[in-house]
Amino acid sequence: MSASNDSSSGFVQVKYNDEIVRMFTLATIIWAAVAFLVGVIIAAQMAVWQLNFNTSWLTFGRLRPLHTNAALFAFAGNAIFAGIYHSTQRLLKTRLCSDVLGKLHFWGWQFIIVLAAITLPLGLSQGKEYAELEWPIDIAVVLIWVVFAINFFGTLLKRNEKHMYVSIWFYIATIVTVALLYIVNAISLPISFFKSYIVFAGIQDALVQWWYGHNAVAFFLTTPFLGLMYYYMPKAANRPVFSYRLSVVHFWSLIFLYIWAGPHHLLNTALPEWLQTLGIVFSVMLWAPSWGGAVNGILTLRGSWNLLRTDPIIKFLVAAITFYAMATFEGPLLSVKAVNSLGHYTDWIVGHVHLGTLGWNGFLTFGIIYFIVPRLWKTELYSKKLANIHFWIGILGILFYYISMLAAGITQGLMWRAIDANGNLVYPDFVETVIRIVPLFFSRAIGGVLFLAGFVLLLYNVYKTIKQAPKDLADETVQVKGASFAVSHSERGHRKLEGMAATFTILALIAILAGSVIEVVPTLSISKYVKTENKVEPFTPLELAGRDIYIKEGCYTCHSQMIRTIHSEELRYGAASTIEESMYDRPFQWGSKRTGPDLARLGKKYPDLWHYMHMENPRAVIKESIMPAYPWLISSKIDFENLGKTISLFKKLGVPYSDKDLSDAKTSAKTQALGIAARLKDQGVKEEMSDKKITALIAYLQALGQKGAQ
Amino acid sequence: MKQQALANFTDIYLIAIAFFLFLSVFVGYIFWVCRKGKKKHYDYLSQLPLHEETRT
Repeated sequence: MSASNDSSSGFVQVKYNDEIVRMFTLATIIWAAVAFLVGVIIAAQMAVWQLNFNTSWLTFGRLRPLHTNAALFAFAGNAIFAGIYHSTQRLLKTRLCSDVLGKLHFWGWQFIIVLAAITLPLGLSQGKEYAELEWPIDIAVVLIWVVFAINFFGTLLKRNEKHMYVSIWFYIATIVTVALLYIVNAISLPISFFKSYIVFAGIQDALVQWWYGHNAVAFFLTTPFLGLMYYYMPKAANRPVFSYRLSVVHFWSLIFLYIWAGPHHLLNTALPEWLQTLGIVFSVMLWAPSWGGAVNGILTLRGSWNLLRTDPIIKFLVAAITFYAMATFEGPLLSVKAVNSLGHYTDWIVGHVHLGTLGWNGFLTFGIIYFIVPRLWKTELYSKKLANIHFWIGILGILFYYISMLAAGITQGLMWRAIDANGNLVYPDFVETVIRIVPLFFSRAIGGVLFLAGFVLLLYNVYKTIKQAPKDLADETVQVKGASFAVSHSERGHRKLEGMAATFTILALIAILAGSVIEVVPTLSISKYVKTENKVEPFTPLELAGRDIYIKEGCYTCHSQMIRTIHSEELRYGAASTIEESMYDRPFQWGSKRTGPDLARLGKKYPDLWHYMHMENPRAVIKESIMPAYPWLISSKIDFENLGKTISLFKKLGVPYSDKDLSDAKTSAKTQALGIAARLKDQGVKEEMSDKKITALIAYLQALGQKGAQ
Repeated sequence: MKQQALANFTDIYLIAIAFFLFLSVFVGYIFWVCRKGKKKHYDYLSQLPLHEETRT
């Protein structure tokens, strides 16, 4: 029994489950090390291309999804679970609903992370940012999230504190919304255990992806961390939150507004104008609740500002909230169409994201770790001095990182759009704009190393703290007022309050569904936006095989396929992309970053041999290129066997393939491959290439922008 | 941009619903939060992280 009643006094003994919190805390630290290390590696790869080592599973395109998933689901995920389990038990004055579900949650989540760490470097990817995991892992994520939800809501039902503190509200919104976002965005149909295709296509997929992507930031990296802020900031400062009223306004405004902001990732694209405007308006409005929350967090320290000098935990928490304020000011700014036209696709966005993840999520987590580790292990922090050094090295690292990326982004963005007096591009060669910012890639990597170095100090500090802890770590037992005494109207009243928790959850769900439905549903009837006169040919089977390779290698992490409605882009790449051009693309490949140029109109721009040489060694055709080489594409073979399944699936999803296309899929792919291989041979390639992956990729690259509807 | 955006508002009723929803929710909870005589209640709530329990 975790709680025993003392009916004579009305008090109950509650023994908190601290073991699960300790487990998630250690997992946070371990996975943080992995996420940060991979981050430093890929940052170094951007500065020194040789660090890709010509090895498939070490290439940037495969490691970048590993880094983002590790940071999001492994580091932030475990931190959220540790903080939620720790604070929820104490705020609700009850033990976790189920120890078994807690352990299932923990080990299930770690198993998912391990699967992700294996599959992503192998190139098993759905090709959607922050949602790359293949369908069996997606199912596992949903199941484990349900386990977490059951445990959380079960704890809520057996609580001894009738009122739900605002942190609990943020946790509820997180649990409900993440489930909805993840499930909708991951709806896909498999053709094998390792390969599936998303059901949404083109613009639908773009909108659903960024509805998910932006709200992954909102409801995985913001709302749970705000809940943690509202608990740990008052705890660390030993003062109540500055304004509880403001926290209520903060909560409802934030969850209602955030869900609408996704389209700001698709500004100046082929997305319908009304959706772009809606995204801008709600993004700009988001500034108000975000700063309301930040001010509320920082002013909690009123009257105790001296702690900023003496207490490293307070330093981390206050710096984290400050970074939150900076990032949530910059976010709306970048959502203004004019600013977005400069910043989008550049490193400015990378800097913006890291301002939030390193500064807000990272520092808040570090502050919480320094706060809870001594308490959970019943000892003192080994060294405050080391924690202080960690703080300053971390700050330096973030500033190096952010300023480098801000400068790189603005520099490159201005170079892309520079037009001379004759109306021509000043920097027509894309690589010119890359060379200019490579030094900033070095200083970004230095920033990453500094941040990692600071984290190593935390690692050592935590290790020494735990080492000096007593061996007996019995769960903390406290005496609290029992539920029946906490509520004046006995069972009836308590039932009513339990009902309020359910009502609250439903209200939060309605708030997030409002924006979701209004934004996403209209685009599901895509025919409304597609001009019927713009006929588009679907990709051939070989081109689809090449597209799969493009996705597997993570080409979308550095190349977009969306020419924006901006004059300089049309000068550089050709006419702006249309909705119709990508209407059969599963997943869409509009991209979010251009380390290399846009590829929407790449087809027929260069001969096959150019692509062959470029993939084998990019420096052979563009001397200053920083792109990794892909020599394995020249030696490994095309999977012709699954092409029929892919065509069949796409046909069912509405892509206009005929029965003949389906029955001849393999033959037509081989015929097309023979044609490309013959051309390569004529142009000087000695080896037979008709069954090699490079041939399929060339077929796809040559088809880009060649299917009509321009 | 405004003219262009308005010209493309093909789903104007959705925007109206969104606006009505947001405004009514916002006004609703501002009134709810600022009700008179709730100071004591909010003070109690804000103390929850600090007055958790009595250790045994």
